[in-house]
Amino acid sequence: MASVQVSDQIFDDWVRQYHRLLYGIAYWWTGSRADAEELTQEAFFQAYRSRSGLRDIKAVKGWLVGILRHCYAQMNRKGHGKMEVSLDGMMDEFEDLNQIGINAPDVSQALALHQSLDRLDERHRLPIVLFYFQDLSYREIAEALELPIGTVMSRLARAREILHDRLSTRQKLTIVKKAAGS
Amino acid sequence: MSCELYKSEIYAWRAGSDAATFQPLFDHMAICPECARLFGQVAASDERLQRAFRAIPESPDLEDRIFAGLAHQRAQKAARKPIWKPWILVPVLASLLIVFLWGIEHQLQQARLNQEVTAFLSTPPALQIDSTDRHRLLEWSSAKLAGPPTLPSVLNKVEFRGAAAVTLVNHRAVLLKMKDEQRASLLIVDARLTQQNGFQTMREKSGSASLWSDGRRTYILLFDGNEQQMHAYMAKMGINT
Repeated sequence: MASVQVSDQIFDDWVRQYHRLLYGIAYWWTGSRADAEELTQEAFFQAYRSRSGLRDIKAVKGWLVGILRHCYAQMNRKGHGKMEVSLDGMMDEFEDLNQIGINAPDVSQALALHQSLDRLDERHRLPIVLFYFQDLSYREIAEALELPIGTVMSRLARAREILHDRLSTRQKLTIVKKAAGS
Repeated sequence: MSCELYKSEIYAWRAGSDAATFQPLFDHMAICPECARLFGQVAASDERLQRAFRAIPESPDLEDRIFAGLAHQRAQKAARKPIWKPWILVPVLASLLIVFLWGIEHQLQQARLNQEVTAFLSTPPALQIDSTDRHRLLEWSSAKLAGPPTLPSVLNKVEFRGAAAVTLVNHRAVLLKMKDEQRASLLIVDARLTQQNGFQTMREKSGSASLWSDGRRTYILLFDGNEQQMHAYMAKMGINT
């Protein structure tokens, strides 16, 4: 299939449409707002430079997520990223969420999720974020991560099981710590 | 299948999954309250997780930062863009075309020159003036050609016995027969037919020829003999450049 012509205007529309999506994925992958911002920017810059490689304009979302994954891998290889975020730092970020209308149970769940994802193996963390955060299909996840669909299904099943087990106990622990710190 | 195996099926299932694939799981849950309870817990956990995943910290200026970075990239690209324009090719291609056409014309002229020289060697023209008076022959020749009735100094020793007006490659020319050597004659052409400063030797079945130019006229020594004999004659008469 021939590559598509992507004008600056079309690309700018993609930035407006997908920057929150990429930022959210990056946030849950890295566990850090600063890293997520850096990754999202770098993904769009790389996407702009390689936009002539896009074969199907309908697949732009998966294409962008794929580039984000490459940027994340680059960040890990260079030893950048994975900024250590203290529990207090995380709580501060989620305090902001309270101010923008996300309710307390969701915030506490998110905080617990944050901690659980941080301890999750990367091969499980990457697909689980795409699964829950963006509700991508198995096929879309497989394409974005360049993995066979069977591998994605088995990793997701295992990741869900781990997350389910951890969250049922860790949520309580987080709330206790928060209370102690306040 | 044991409950442990159905447990992995429960974690593999998601809303919208192929019903036929998971039918055995649903059949099992109809008779296994334990697995049905786990399924319910996982489904509820999924909903909570989806809500939790939506809770991401705001990054209000991220979009602006991305656009600023893109603007920088675009500015850099514009600065790197070469000033090359397709019309620059026009004079280049025109020059190449001229050189190409000149080359073809030169080749054609050379082929025609060879052909006509061969014809003069095999069938010399009849003399139109018989005279051994060098001055008279040159005066007669200059009337047929443009320019003064002179010859280059390398031909000072040569004596002639007659002349004929001819054309060579569409140029006016005069053929002078040598007096001291019956096999030799000289063609004087009112044009420059060679770019070479020295002698250009032409060998034909019917004889040999040596061609040179003084920049304005071309001189062709025609010799009814082989190249070696022609060079011996030229050396004897001091014809060299």
